[in-house]
Amino acid sequence: MSTTTLDTPAGSGGTASAPDRQGTLSDPERLQRAMASFVLDFGATAALYMESCVHCGQCAEACHYYVQTGDPKYTPIWKIEPFKQAYKRQIGPFSAFYRLFHLKRPVTTDELGKWQELIYDSCTLCGRCTLVCPMGIDIPSLVAAARHGMEAAGLTPHDLWEPTDRAEREGSPLGATRQVLKERIAWLADENSVKIPLDLEQADILVTISSVEIMKYPQAIVALARIMNHVRASWTFRSDGYEATNFSMLSGDKKGQRNATMLLINAALAVQAKIVILPECGHAYQAFRWTGANIYGKPLPFRALHISEFLAEEIRANRLTLKSDPRSMTFHDPCQVARRGGVFEAPRVIFRALGAQLHEMSSTPAANWCCGGGGGVVTIHRADSLRHRVFHLKMQQVEDTGADILVSSCSNCRLTFDDGQAFFHWDKTAHSLLELVADNLAERH
Amino acid sequence: MNGASLLDFARGPGFEVAVAMLAFGVVWRLVGILALRRPVDHSEPRTGWGWVGGLRLVFSRSWPRREFRERVLHWDIISYLFHIGYAVAILGYVPHILVIRNLTGLRWPGLPGGVIAFFAGISAAALLALLGHRMSSPVLRRLSNFDDYFSWLAVFAPLVTGLMAYYNMGDSYQLVLGLHVLFGDLLLAWLPFGKIMHVILFAFSRATTGTVYGRRGAAL
Amino acid sequence: MADETIAEVLEKRGFTRRAFLQLCATVTAALALSPADAAEMTRRLQSAPRPTVIYLSYQECTGCLESLTRSFSPGLASLIFNDISLAFNDTLQAAAGEAAESAKDTAMKKAWGKYLLIVDGSVPLPQNGAYCTVAGRSAISDLKHAAGGAAAVVAVGTCAAFGGLPYASPNPTGAVPVSDIVRDRPVINVSGCPPIAEVITGVIMYYTTFGLPALDRLRRPTNFYGNSIHDRCYRRPFYDRGLFAKTFDDEGARQGWCLFELGCKGPVTHNACPTMKWNGGTSFPIESGHPCLGCSEPGFWDKGGFYRPLSVPTGHWSRAGVIGGAAAAGAVTGLAVAAVARSRQDRAQKNRQSGTDKKNPKP
Repeated sequence: MSTTTLDTPAGSGGTASAPDRQGTLSDPERLQRAMASFVLDFGATAALYMESCVHCGQCAEACHYYVQTGDPKYTPIWKIEPFKQAYKRQIGPFSAFYRLFHLKRPVTTDELGKWQELIYDSCTLCGRCTLVCPMGIDIPSLVAAARHGMEAAGLTPHDLWEPTDRAEREGSPLGATRQVLKERIAWLADENSVKIPLDLEQADILVTISSVEIMKYPQAIVALARIMNHVRASWTFRSDGYEATNFSMLSGDKKGQRNATMLLINAALAVQAKIVILPECGHAYQAFRWTGANIYGKPLPFRALHISEFLAEEIRANRLTLKSDPRSMTFHDPCQVARRGGVFEAPRVIFRALGAQLHEMSSTPAANWCCGGGGGVVTIHRADSLRHRVFHLKMQQVEDTGADILVSSCSNCRLTFDDGQAFFHWDKTAHSLLELVADNLAERH
Repeated sequence: MNGASLLDFARGPGFEVAVAMLAFGVVWRLVGILALRRPVDHSEPRTGWGWVGGLRLVFSRSWPRREFRERVLHWDIISYLFHIGYAVAILGYVPHILVIRNLTGLRWPGLPGGVIAFFAGISAAALLALLGHRMSSPVLRRLSNFDDYFSWLAVFAPLVTGLMAYYNMGDSYQLVLGLHVLFGDLLLAWLPFGKIMHVILFAFSRATTGTVYGRRGAAL
Repeated sequence: MADETIAEVLEKRGFTRRAFLQLCATVTAALALSPADAAEMTRRLQSAPRPTVIYLSYQECTGCLESLTRSFSPGLASLIFNDISLAFNDTLQAAAGEAAESAKDTAMKKAWGKYLLIVDGSVPLPQNGAYCTVAGRSAISDLKHAAGGAAAVVAVGTCAAFGGLPYASPNPTGAVPVSDIVRDRPVINVSGCPPIAEVITGVIMYYTTFGLPALDRLRRPTNFYGNSIHDRCYRRPFYDRGLFAKTFDDEGARQGWCLFELGCKGPVTHNACPTMKWNGGTSFPIESGHPCLGCSEPGFWDKGGFYRPLSVPTGHWSRAGVIGGAAAAGAVTGLAVAAVARSRQDRAQKNRQSGTDKKNPKP
């Protein structure tokens, strides 16, 4: 890889620093595992995408990393270059020629290592590039596939690998084990005088949670409980299926991803749930709402809703009535929920129900700037200063609305906003839409 | 080889081979891609009309979204000048229409030569600008490989020789025309094997993304 | 008699000086000479010795000679050529058999090394030239002998210039153009099937006065063959405006639109038809509503059909067969590579499953 054109933030995983490695595999073994994994991901869709690229470079113009640094290595399609290279040599229609005439070199472990920072540190899988690509190539899906191979080769950034490994061992990436959950719920129920059903045998609604909320934003649990009780839902948390985050998906560990998803599915089946509510967490929504059924292998026998979708449905059904909160607000659409998840209308229904003065951001909700923390990036500390650079874009976009209050519906975004707020000494805090609703529940008659 | 025999070769056996390679290569590549595994999506669609999104994206992605226009629209316009100019020159010029008629039986009225030359000239100028951009932009330099430059040449060569033939430049009209047809053959033969294949793949690629995200009700 | 000038001969035959000047004006106009060159030509013609012309015919149809002798203008030019300079032509002369052959030998001997040899028709090579013999002599040996005494050779008509009809695929007689045999004398190709009479006489007049004319790649005098039919065609504006006759009796044909779609070879044919025209400047094929056949170009018989437009592919290959066959082969290849790709994936999957036990060991 060639030199960067602009200054690379210190410790951002630039070319100089060695890539993180897990385990003690030899280089050829790592390569072999990565290639085996890559090959499995070269389906018709990925192939179509890689064959269609005309190298126009427009994806760079949509990527916050390129826009903020001007460094061509952050061009989204470049981030999967080894993946593409492997495809051309191994699976593509002309792969025999590529091998025979050596038109594409075999990928090396060294290259995979060099690409670690591009595949992980500088891609939040936000999907803006998908919207600009004239060929309609969904680059994040390719980055996610490339991560499978990187994980198989033990070439994941350590900061991301660690919580993933922990999640696979303990059921939660941040230490929110089953026991911790039980204690938290007991404490929160007691502290806030709210009924929080746990481990009911039957319930219409299974509510899941992000460990970010359990550990950092426990008020979200209280808010959830208040709302569910307010609408008199038959609901429960389950200690055998509560963790909606899926760090394995972010790292690229397919097996771990499957296990995490199956825990939720099995819990939902156990309580005969009609609805599974996913927390304010973008990638949890992506992992369960859009990938869950494919892991299950058939359509799920229940609905999966993001909490904001559930709230909007309840408002529309007149079961959820809210007090007026006419403050001036702006809403940050989480990439995985809105742009890539399709939930655009629900939060706006909620804001209307609140009577809030909503100032939309300069770009449409679909092409909103990412907070910079998605895709596991917020956990990778060596990428912090790069993340702060792209956060600046988001901050500017929020500032430009002139709104007083910033609201979002993703606790991972919230975490990123909190960190950015502290770093830039910004006067705005990201609020949770869920908590905003819970704070404005109308008295029931 | 003189101009006359070059022309005879180019529109005789050369053209035949080129058309055969075009048909062979396009189907090979397309089937080779589409016959790979394609897992079924079991997730419950937000709308059962995902294919509408696919169809929509095939067309809507032809123009950049508002949010990106500031950064990409100028290059899109230049690309369009190239593409439209090229399409007009290919589909509007009577000698070309006659080739298509000869192959397919389809025909339509042609445009005046001066109009064709105008569009072809614009197309050539846009192509030069795009090449300049490719060679000067750090992003494009990073991405570009042999395919990009060779395909550029394969597209540019018939265009510029066609213009030369139209304006009777060069000392032998037949030689220039022969080269024009020969480069045209090369373009047809190369099309399936390089990036020019996007003339077919773009629809498949857009439709795929449009369908996947259309059924989610996500951004297109 | 050999020392007589053209002017003297004409005078003897009762032509006035006025008529002579008229002739010169006509020829120089046809050649598009500058006024200075025209004056020079007149001066030289007056003093130039009467040229000796030997005209030999091989595999030909006599169309070229017909074209020449039936032309009206410039009448004087053909007169000079036919009646004054022509020492031998077996078609036109009264003598036949032994008498004719001996007349030819005499004429050639008399002007050996100086005469202008005109050849009409192509020359077959196989079987020692047995496909074309005259007076027991093969065309090839006859031509070689005659060319030996010529100052220059003019190949009249496309058969002599490029092989023409006898040369057309499959060329059963193994015919070749004159230039393939005569390699040590200047050869001027005056192609056309037939060539315009004024072009033939014009070339001879030019040669008589100025010597060898400037030639193009195909050894054709650029005076007459420098432009394509297309460049000088009066229907060219219709081509440029995209107005084409699509059949011989449609509105476009009646309006006199361009005949490109009807197979006109004007764009790749170099000749003087649009400017000099035929039958004393009366008309030329395109003017009479027929596309140019391209008769002054090599291989015009084998260019895929007179009525097939110039741009369309030549050859009578089965379009549907080739395209369908190639597409079918492509489909088979595509399925095969996809099958190979799938089996690679299956192998990777198997290796992966068997390798899962062996976790990446932690340090």
